[in-house]
Amino acid sequence: MSLWILDKGAVAPLVNALRADYRVIGPQAKGPKFVFDPIEDPAQLRLDYNTTILPPKKVLQPPEERLATFSMGSEPRVAPVVEAEPTVLLGVHTCDLHAIQLLDKVFSTDYPDAHYLERRQQTIIFSIECLEPCDEHSFCKSMGTLTAGEGYDVHLTDLGLAYAADVATEAGKALLTRYGTVREATDADVRRLNEVMGAKWPRFTYRLNFDAAELPALLSMAYDHPLWDELGERCYACGACTIVCPTCYCFNVFDETNMALTEGERWRRWDSCQLDEFARVAGGENFRAARAARQRHRFMRKGKYIYEKIGELGCVGCGRCIRACIPKINIVDGFNTIHGGG
Amino acid sequence: MDNGKPKVAFFDFACCEGCQLTVIDSLQTHLDLLDAIEIVQFREAMSEKGENYQIAFIEGSCTRQEDEERLHKIRDQADIVVALGACAHLGGINALKNLHPLEDVRKWVYGDKAAWYDTYPARPIGAVIEVDAFIPGCPIDREEFVRVVKALLLGTKPPIPDYPVCVECKLKENVCLFDLGKICLGPVTRAGCNAICPSYGAACEGCRGLIPNPNENAMKDVLAKAGLTVEEIMSRFTMFNTYQLQERMAEEE
Repeated sequence: MSLWILDKGAVAPLVNALRADYRVIGPQAKGPKFVFDPIEDPAQLRLDYNTTILPPKKVLQPPEERLATFSMGSEPRVAPVVEAEPTVLLGVHTCDLHAIQLLDKVFSTDYPDAHYLERRQQTIIFSIECLEPCDEHSFCKSMGTLTAGEGYDVHLTDLGLAYAADVATEAGKALLTRYGTVREATDADVRRLNEVMGAKWPRFTYRLNFDAAELPALLSMAYDHPLWDELGERCYACGACTIVCPTCYCFNVFDETNMALTEGERWRRWDSCQLDEFARVAGGENFRAARAARQRHRFMRKGKYIYEKIGELGCVGCGRCIRACIPKINIVDGFNTIHGGG
Repeated sequence: MDNGKPKVAFFDFACCEGCQLTVIDSLQTHLDLLDAIEIVQFREAMSEKGENYQIAFIEGSCTRQEDEERLHKIRDQADIVVALGACAHLGGINALKNLHPLEDVRKWVYGDKAAWYDTYPARPIGAVIEVDAFIPGCPIDREEFVRVVKALLLGTKPPIPDYPVCVECKLKENVCLFDLGKICLGPVTRAGCNAICPSYGAACEGCRGLIPNPNENAMKDVLAKAGLTVEEIMSRFTMFNTYQLQERMAEEE
């Protein structure tokens, strides 16, 4: 829509101004790692973060959320609960931005999810261009998520002393001009932006040995691949890989009642296909009892099933599942093994 | 007189009574517990000793012959027996003594009076009587106790997780202790504690027991790669789970 320039010194005043009217969430340090959390002080904001433990999906689909309240007795009552508030989400990397677009599709297809969609509708996203890989586990370039042309309200690129702010929506423009101090980009700024963008690509490496577009076809031939048993031997089934995944959206629903059992609340919590109970059904049968079958399911979801459902790969190459895995199961190695082994 | 509330009794065997203390503690935040149940016997909290009860919560492990008689008597009276805490559920730290000759252990504790105290290897109460439900932990989690009471009142299965502590730890977005160079039993230990120890930077010691289907070999691999000796690895596992490990080894032989 238009390109603006936001001086780095103007970021803190912008964040402070936004906080008056919005919940402002951005990356901040937690020990040696980073997390997306509400910004109480602009000094907490770390736009130079590498990656976060949980992806920003937690802002749109919280790990636990209340769905409804109910009362029992002669006249039972159910009242849906949609908890959303005006939010500005700062510093989203482009892999996570692609993941949010995927979640948007998932939660609006078949059964539109009022809880997610209302929160999404009230969220304004400031994404940021990655100029360096987060670490050796990033494979965004292989997954085509190294940059983004849409899905944001404002997209920042670090030009050194200032950020280029690509404004894509009216909401983004209103926010930036009302709460911040910006100027329109000059030809010199555009040249600088092009230089920065041109220089970043060689810093990232392709980590898949093949074109990711081949994944659905490759996986359709790999149901009986020996890789799954090997992964099953190593996997703890702790669910870390799916919990930190920006595109995993499965949840479990449960009720909490008061002590008198007269009223209660319905909640949902992130679930994981890696857990023993996930595929256990009434009667005790578990159709993915083996850890190997569950790891296969995860790889299939990321490289095939989600693609078949919505036309996009379910992996954005953020590398979080690799970092979170204590026995070091590596999805890139896995995909490459399937490619190499046929 | 019958007020329609289920009658509940608490009992203790070899334990520190910390789980019963947590039950008492839960009454501070959940006063309505007393509207829902009637406690008829609870040595740590009251003088009365009612023998007419439907639900028995038992803390502690079985370490003596005479414990068995008392456990059977409770089982005969109660409709529902709940193992309360790691000692009743697992044998817990009491079972550490099972790793040593009984004579040595008794001499160590009772000195020259060892002959007066006839104890045998510690076992979870489930090894002696049938147990309908358990609340894991050393000590138990207050909120989990309340959830289990509600489930018993509703007649549903108590919601004790089958998945490992890692799930709750990740949902809380804790920095993984393995990333800080620490050793943690979270990947093979039953969740439900809301990852309280790792949340404060302390490694999980497995007080809630192994998950039903743990990948022990993967855990041993990871611990070995972290530079631990077999003895050190075993000492991590045996802190709370000696009885289970010995049972497994006996089965394998």
